[in-house]
Amino acid sequence: MAIPELEAIGIVKRYGAVLANDHVDLSVDSGEIHAVMGENGAGKSTLMSILYGLQPPDEGRILLRGVEMRFGSALDAIAAGMGMVHQAFKLFASLTVWENIVFGAEPVRTVFTDRGKARREVAELAERHGLGVDPDAKVWALSVGVRQRVEILKALYRRARILILDEPTAVLTPQERDGLFAVMRRLAADGRTILFVTHKLNEVMAITDRVTVLRDAKVVARMKTRETTVGEIIRAMTGRNVDLQIERGAAAPGALKLEVEGLTIGSPGGRPLVDGAVFAVRAGEIVGLAGVAGNGQNELVEALVGLRRPDAGEVRIAGASVGEADVAGHRAAGLAYIPEDRASVGAALGADAADNFAMGFQRDPPLSRSGWLDPGAMAARARALIDKFGVRIASEHAPASSLSGGNLQKMVVARELSHAAPVLVAEQPTRGVDIGATEFIHGQLVAERDMGHAVLLVSAELSEILALSDRVLVMYEGRILADVPRAQASEEALGLLMAGRTAIS
Amino acid sequence: MSAVGRLRPPPALVAIVFAVLVGGALVLVSGANPIQAYAAIVGGALAPDNLPNTLNWATPLVGMTLAAAIPLRGGMINLGGDGQMVVGGLVGATASLLLPAPGPLAATLALIAATVAGGLYAALAAWGQIRFAIPMLISSLLLSYTAVGIVSYLVRFPLRDTTTGLPQTALVPVAARLPTLVGPVNAGMLVIAAVAALVIVIDRRAVIGYELRMRGLNARFAGYGGVRLDQQALGAMFASGAIAGLVGAIVVLGGQFRFIDGALLTPAYTWSGLMAALLAGGEPVGAIAAGLFFAALQTGGFAMQRETSVPRVLTLVLQAIVILFLAMRHGLGKRSS
Repeated sequence: MAIPELEAIGIVKRYGAVLANDHVDLSVDSGEIHAVMGENGAGKSTLMSILYGLQPPDEGRILLRGVEMRFGSALDAIAAGMGMVHQAFKLFASLTVWENIVFGAEPVRTVFTDRGKARREVAELAERHGLGVDPDAKVWALSVGVRQRVEILKALYRRARILILDEPTAVLTPQERDGLFAVMRRLAADGRTILFVTHKLNEVMAITDRVTVLRDAKVVARMKTRETTVGEIIRAMTGRNVDLQIERGAAAPGALKLEVEGLTIGSPGGRPLVDGAVFAVRAGEIVGLAGVAGNGQNELVEALVGLRRPDAGEVRIAGASVGEADVAGHRAAGLAYIPEDRASVGAALGADAADNFAMGFQRDPPLSRSGWLDPGAMAARARALIDKFGVRIASEHAPASSLSGGNLQKMVVARELSHAAPVLVAEQPTRGVDIGATEFIHGQLVAERDMGHAVLLVSAELSEILALSDRVLVMYEGRILADVPRAQASEEALGLLMAGRTAIS
Repeated sequence: MSAVGRLRPPPALVAIVFAVLVGGALVLVSGANPIQAYAAIVGGALAPDNLPNTLNWATPLVGMTLAAAIPLRGGMINLGGDGQMVVGGLVGATASLLLPAPGPLAATLALIAATVAGGLYAALAAWGQIRFAIPMLISSLLLSYTAVGIVSYLVRFPLRDTTTGLPQTALVPVAARLPTLVGPVNAGMLVIAAVAALVIVIDRRAVIGYELRMRGLNARFAGYGGVRLDQQALGAMFASGAIAGLVGAIVVLGGQFRFIDGALLTPAYTWSGLMAALLAGGEPVGAIAAGLFFAALQTGGFAMQRETSVPRVLTLVLQAIVILFLAMRHGLGKRSS
């Protein structure tokens, strides 16, 4: 067999007492699309940052086409033919596409950038790889999917032979995702090698040649995609069997619990961020709010929960109008809220678990009486929720920062569900959460529905929306474009709506 | 990792040892005896005869430490301690002169009036932030200059004691002065000690203490959880300014017996207190300990200057090294995590 394009042998990386990579071996062939999978904290990001030269390994070797490499920085890695597309793009929004692509590697004529040559090279490169991008477009005007192409072109312009794509599909519509897959296949056929880091099993099955699975800092499985199954990969990632199907009976919608009428949020000098949204959620149903990130969902949710005052329109929670109320007023009317960003909104990482579990309950018995806290009751409440939700933490007095992403999310979910509020707004409840925790959180959301509460599920993950929702709202450019019953909601139909096409349904 | 952390000495102690070593080297280079200089500082601060001086110096300094620590606990900064202190000082002096009440009652009412005045003045900065989005960091400082200027005008013209040529109010009646405990120490120390105890208990056990602490750790979390951030900012700034105003009135009624223009500001209690509070990140027990340490250092500095050839500036150098060292460690630690 030929020499592998990229080989990592016995990579070890420690952070203090934590072992992030424990003798990890990875071998990738030329022209291969290779998935690197694992739950949060399994060591994927650490491995990628080592391969890309962002940090040195404590032990182990990296071989590129059989030659041992020592990357002092990402610049060395780039020079050796590595390219990486990060989850958060690193582009200059105010510059054009070609300027972004040649930045730092400009063709030079005497001391000036050879603009004509740069433009021409970028246009040729885009054409050759079938990445339809206008070199003269300003990046701010481009959609997320096109920006990602610019990032890929940036790596190709630097003659990357190995591309690391870190969760590249998280921000894409299904159609954009299919476009990306086509590009990936073409690149692989061209002899380039792609390392594909992802959580999404169906994408791995659809596009990759081989899979390497990490668990607890070790490689636990290496498989040929053709010869494996989704179940086998899950078992390797979690070490157990996970049932991805959610057991849920039919919804029994009751009274209107969350009503939104003509909700509008303007933006200075632009089209409104939220444009006359009208919808309602009934007791005992889960309504999904789908849409590509950045189409007004965040602003809509902020207005629903009282973090932002709408410019027009009305919100009623359990029949009470809360238009002018602050968060405390919304919560008093009967709202619980799982925020998108658990670390910077949903928790105080520097505080202990007991303090985190107490938030929102601190003013009422049993946690406090006439303004004075009862630390015993706070600790007891935290212990009860830790047990009930299976949060893995040393004790209720351990800081929230000691929790892994999935467990932190469980903590936030546990706290918000313990409000037993008539309305629950759950925003990206399983983003970046591993399969085990996702399964658990989904079960809890269904249980919340079955208890007769109204659940608004905001998710960029279509599979999550489809798995849980009884009805699906699609948001596009600030408007609620469609209200689709679950029976008529397919990935294709929703994907087209998410891209703003209303021809069908 | 936590096991390693437990073996390490607390950073404040390391910083102090480091500062003592560097300061000692400085004294040595300048040709004096560092051991003598340090002995003079320790003796000057803690010897039985000198302890009352230290406590008397610590009373306003710890008071201003608390004034700085309360907003800091919630992630806010009150830079206007000077202004709130002089407002309290002048209100206290004027009230005790004008109130037609028997002495002790007049003193009590004067302290309360000064507390309320200082609190309202500080709350003005919070109101500006809530209503007009003026950053409190800036407005509290600018309002401080305004207050110092207006108070200076008042004490030079309408409220001046015309029997002297100096910018100061008339003497507070003897009956309305704070009773002396020992040496220069007066009942004001007990008042500040009681306030300190109250602040600690509220911080640890009260709902509002919990909410302020959570805001300091993550303001978005507190707001998301339903804490009314605007009211909280008003309350924290009122409490902060109230303590500053109280400190002003205690110095006037307990030591100077009249409001003298500039006399409250020269010792820079506000800034020493702010540094002490910053060292402890607003945590009240640590802040009070740091405030007491600075008070001892500064008092000892006077003794050292009297007894040795080393100027008392050395204590400010020590203070600066401690702060630099801790700030540096803090910044470095943040980056590596």
